[in-house]
Amino acid sequence: MANTGPVTFAIEAFKRIHPVEFQRRFLSQETRHDGRAFGQFRETHVAKGTVSTAQGSSTVRIGDTTVVCGIKAEVSEPDVKTPDEGYLVTNVDLSPMCSARFRAGPPSESAQVASEHVFRLFNQNVVDLKELCIESGQAVWVLSADIVCLRHDGNILDAAIVALMAALEDLKLPQAKIESGVVSADKSTGRPLALRRRLFPATYTLVDDAYLVADADDAEEQLATASVLVVVDERGRVANVWKRGAGPISRQSISQCVDVATGRVPKMAEVLDAAGGQ
Amino acid sequence: MTRPDRRDAGQIRALHCVLGQLSRADGSAQFAAGDSSVLCGVYGPVDVRVYDEKLDRAHIEVKLRPATGLPNTKDKWTESVIRSTFEREILCHLHPRTLVQINVQVRQDDGAVEAAAINAATLALVDAGIPLRTMVAAATCAVLPGGAIVVDPTLEEAAGAQSVHTFAFGGDTAGGPLHVDSRGDFAMDEYNACYDICATTAERVLAFMRSAVEGKIAKEALLVGAS
Repeated sequence: MANTGPVTFAIEAFKRIHPVEFQRRFLSQETRHDGRAFGQFRETHVAKGTVSTAQGSSTVRIGDTTVVCGIKAEVSEPDVKTPDEGYLVTNVDLSPMCSARFRAGPPSESAQVASEHVFRLFNQNVVDLKELCIESGQAVWVLSADIVCLRHDGNILDAAIVALMAALEDLKLPQAKIESGVVSADKSTGRPLALRRRLFPATYTLVDDAYLVADADDAEEQLATASVLVVVDERGRVANVWKRGAGPISRQSISQCVDVATGRVPKMAEVLDAAGGQ
Repeated sequence: MTRPDRRDAGQIRALHCVLGQLSRADGSAQFAAGDSSVLCGVYGPVDVRVYDEKLDRAHIEVKLRPATGLPNTKDKWTESVIRSTFEREILCHLHPRTLVQINVQVRQDDGAVEAAAINAATLALVDAGIPLRTMVAAATCAVLPGGAIVVDPTLEEAAGAQSVHTFAFGGDTAGGPLHVDSRGDFAMDEYNACYDICATTAERVLAFMRSAVEGKIAKEALLVGAS
């Protein structure tokens, strides 16, 4: 006999079997599967100085997304073209540890794109490379920022930007001097690095072509057709608007995203300030 | 205000394009704006690797080679931008379980090379006869330290700029942008001004690309008629 009655099964099973329909049931009712409103961000937690072996470090949690950023400062020779500028090297690591979607081996495209985007945001815009000069033409600092994702639950780019920002604020550059071609650094004393601006990111994701939600988690990102990353600074200036994916996000929505991101700055600045450090 | 190459602030560099230059590719195009030149070859729909196979649509792959050296993360970033811009505009569902490969070779980089790559990819896709929802056109402008906005900046201008803005639009610029990348230090007024400038520029570039495609088809029709 054919089963004609309504099919019932556990909500966990429904979520796994038909993720799209599962999300739609919530989104069509103007809510989200974790109970947030469309414009609501997850709570951001920041801790500075969490890696004692690094010169600057931070741990950032946005909801369940967790990233650790460590900055190692090393001495190197400057480029001939820019004898008084140091280097910033960023690396975002998305390993199988943080999500089943990532494979071991060389960095995936998404990891490379995230590394490159974070680099473009911070190089010269936040970090003044001239500040990293020890002796022009002789020795400069190389800041290697490793951003490791421990748990991936969406919005990795925001987490990476906040983590790098916090780690740079935590950074103590050892006092270095150069004597007859040899650089010596005293690790016990350090000076903080002067940063040009403070960046605050906000990502909006267009889910299922119709719903623009703030700070999407992993399940929502799977259905994303487009996303907008907005990065603003503490003076209300915009540092980056980056729309990816061809889903329709109107010009007005992008403007609204920037307004909300600007409105969030005081709260986010407080979170960064309260993170303390060494 | 004078620009290094004596253009007006709102003047783009001379556009040049050649369709079907590569004989082995299914479609190809070279697109140049001044000294920025990009060559694009498209294969598709072709066989797809099992790993990438999608049951309901074509898989799109973008490979970008820089003018010098090996591809690095910067080029990966551009690849992902091109792919995400075209993912929707190519009617992928018409060719399930196949691959559309877009190969981009930068010939010369003198600024606004991402926009040139997107424009070259559109022309190559049209040349290959891949069904598209709309033709995509991209444009770049830069805000200089004094606040002046210049369209289609050269590498030198972009390096000294406060902020650089790249937008890509479909055939109808009122429908919202397909791709936005604005970076630097700017206010929303500047962003909006750049948006408007890039939208009109993209429309012009689109008209140029249309006439190039029409010209090629007219020439082919003549050849068919003669034989």
